[in-house]
Amino acid sequence: MSAPATHAALLYDSPRQYAAETGSFLRAGLAQGHRGLVMAPPDRVEWIRHELGRDADEVTYVDDTVAYTPQWNAYRVLLEFAAEAPDVRSVVVAEQALSTRVPAEVLDYRRQEAAANVVFADRDVDLICPYDAGALPAHLLDIARHTHEHLRVDGAAAPNSAYLDPRAVLTRLTEVVPAPPGATTLDCVSHADVAQARRLVRHRGAAAGLGPDAVADMALAVTEVLTNALQHGAPPAVLHLYPEQETWVCHVHDGGTALVDPLTGILPPDGLSEHGYGLWLARQLCAAVDVGHDLTGTHVRLHARIAD
Amino acid sequence: MIHGAHRSAADLCTLEPGTHLCALEPGEIQLDRVAATFVGQGLAAGDRLLYVASDEQAEALVTALPEHVHVAEALATGQLRISSFADAYGTRRPDDLSAVADGFRAAAAQACKDGFPGLRVAARMDGLSALLGSHQEVLAWERMSTYLQHELEVSSVCLYDASRLDPEQAASIAREHDGQAPEVDVPPIGTFLAVDEPWGLRVSGEVDVSNRDLLKQLVLSRAAVTPRLRLDLGEVTFADIGTMCRLQAAAAELPDSGWLLLDRVPHAVRRILEVAGISHERLRVAP
Repeated sequence: MSAPATHAALLYDSPRQYAAETGSFLRAGLAQGHRGLVMAPPDRVEWIRHELGRDADEVTYVDDTVAYTPQWNAYRVLLEFAAEAPDVRSVVVAEQALSTRVPAEVLDYRRQEAAANVVFADRDVDLICPYDAGALPAHLLDIARHTHEHLRVDGAAAPNSAYLDPRAVLTRLTEVVPAPPGATTLDCVSHADVAQARRLVRHRGAAAGLGPDAVADMALAVTEVLTNALQHGAPPAVLHLYPEQETWVCHVHDGGTALVDPLTGILPPDGLSEHGYGLWLARQLCAAVDVGHDLTGTHVRLHARIAD
Repeated sequence: MIHGAHRSAADLCTLEPGTHLCALEPGEIQLDRVAATFVGQGLAAGDRLLYVASDEQAEALVTALPEHVHVAEALATGQLRISSFADAYGTRRPDDLSAVADGFRAAAAQACKDGFPGLRVAARMDGLSALLGSHQEVLAWERMSTYLQHELEVSSVCLYDASRLDPEQAASIAREHDGQAPEVDVPPIGTFLAVDEPWGLRVSGEVDVSNRDLLKQLVLSRAAVTPRLRLDLGEVTFADIGTMCRLQAAAAELPDSGWLLLDRVPHAVRRILEVAGISHERLRVAP
């Protein structure tokens, strides 16, 4: 029986502190035969490599712009890394340039950090998430404080009194944002309407300033979520399209009354199963995905960044 | 889907196999159009189409079919077959309608053996009254066809020139059918055509929840003949994850010696294979 997973935040003020804490964490793991993975911005990777010296090549590095594009891809990188050696524990440093994220992405990152405590609980993994305490604003540092059971301090994991129950955090983050009055709206009843929805997304997405790849990914994500709504939700299924701050939103609303578990589609579905792919796939294609429920049914909001 | 009661035009994209449709149109031009719509959509869905008509009528059909169904290839592979009225139904009044039924059964079985998920028939019916001898016999024939087609799951459209019928006759014929075939062609979002060399099929356009089961049926029907298939995806503009899951499932159902080769795979399809992480040892992707 392996030890339970750990998920700690490192609030660092200096490169020296960053290197010392992540370095000692990775070294301790490697010394026990664990495998090391670092997802981080290139300059952070350099700090770690320098700190580890001759041991640096024992660790796998993934640039944060790859690992976190989109943000939920980081889960996939981690799972695929772990799957390469199923019986070996992974020690993982996970950090992205959080200051570059737009509000919808930050909200989703909060979900991602909270969900990690639940979905990786039984996995053979130790995670450290560094946060730049010297540079990040308070509301971003709160993500670190609220979603990590431990803080990495002086080479050890200290209990974190600000930690919140992750399921409670996730439930709070399912609040529904209604579509604005000026949104473009398409009513979908039959399977034939999914093709119509794609045409609308392509047309409006290009007009909203999305690049061809982003439009294609959004058309695919909308197809999956709308198909789910038509097959498993309840009519009417409605697609709303609108800009919101720095993202362009495709909002699928159906009359389904069943509560959606906030953890649905956070991890990839098993095997050949054809169901449950929709939300997993949407999170691999979109900048952020909001899933919520109110008296009128289920809402899935797919975000694409308007311009980078 | 039965349309008989309200006489609305049937939706060919979601046509239930075994649907017995009719067209009562005032002239050749309209009948040609209904035939082309029915045949074109049937071919696009991957089924075998039998057109029972004169040489001139067949020629008109070939000209009227939309480009995306590649009519010359459909004729070469036998996906589209053309038969004269005499070859299909004989030149003498059949002693027994069961002989006609046997012919129908054989044609349906042959379509399956040749690797098609289903058979659809479009037939010009104007010779039928003369062959059978009376309008009452025509109605009996049509009634038998309805039962038989439901049983064999063969869909058809019976094309009548209404200018040769009195209104009472036309109404009685309409009553023996499940509905009327549409004249206007709403092109399907995706087209699936059988290809003989190399054995497989060609997919074009979009595949999603509305048509992906048809695609899987065609793949399985082709695989039942030869379990090594090439899918030419060169003209595919969109496929959803359920489509790729179905191709993966079809590959998994093949015997060990079989495979599904995805050839000329466009960027859109590569993207979904990558994002969804779909792979199978018998699902090969050409580089």
